[in-house]
Amino acid sequence: MSAIDHYINAIIEQGAAEAQEDGSAAIEAHHLLLAIAAGEGTAAHRVLTAAGLGRQAIRDALDREFEHSLSAVGVSVASFDLPKPALALESPKLGASARLAIERGFAAATGKKDLRPAHLLLGVLDTEIGTVPRALALAGLDRVDLMARARETLAGNSW
Amino acid sequence: MPVEDVPVPKDPADSLAAVVALRLLADRLEDAAVEQAMRAGWSWPDVAEALGVTRQAVHKKHVKRLIAAGVALRRRQ
Repeated sequence: MSAIDHYINAIIEQGAAEAQEDGSAAIEAHHLLLAIAAGEGTAAHRVLTAAGLGRQAIRDALDREFEHSLSAVGVSVASFDLPKPALALESPKLGASARLAIERGFAAATGKKDLRPAHLLLGVLDTEIGTVPRALALAGLDRVDLMARARETLAGNSW
Repeated sequence: MPVEDVPVPKDPADSLAAVVALRLLADRLEDAAVEQAMRAGWSWPDVAEALGVTRQAVHKKHVKRLIAAGVALRRRQ
């Protein structure tokens, strides 16, 4: 297997762990973003951390998005004294949003040999719809600027 | 609250995101409620009836997690 195959496997595995932590049966695009932020040694990771998006900062942004979305229909998550979700025992499967993100990441590269971690980050970021762009906007982050920075690293041929 | 008091967001993106968040919240509530009921000695058929699903469905969805959490379960009837 090539280095990018190993990387993609590691991101999906870490994404599954993030989904399990949420008690979620599916790995979604935001779980892949958390996984990219958790994996050091890539340009994708450096782009996120330079923007202040460590794994915990992304978790906090996702929590805010959850609360914000519920409040739009008059539900306050603070009024539920919910225990932390028990770990799902079944291994989470790739959800629709994660599949789309991976497809978009592949499409951003000019071929399998060109494919690098920053392409995967581009795939996760390249949508105006869904949890990831909403969480980034609420955190005051410019998604389009993040994509531009990811593209810069790709032009520089970094891993 | 009365249904006419439930705010409907003006932006469809907010309405759709609320659906996603409510599903996640409902899943978490279900996990907590089923665990609470089983710890209180409810049977699988009673929990299933309360949730409006079959006992096979509720058993399949929750049994492994509850066993792993150390909940003493009543035998299925």
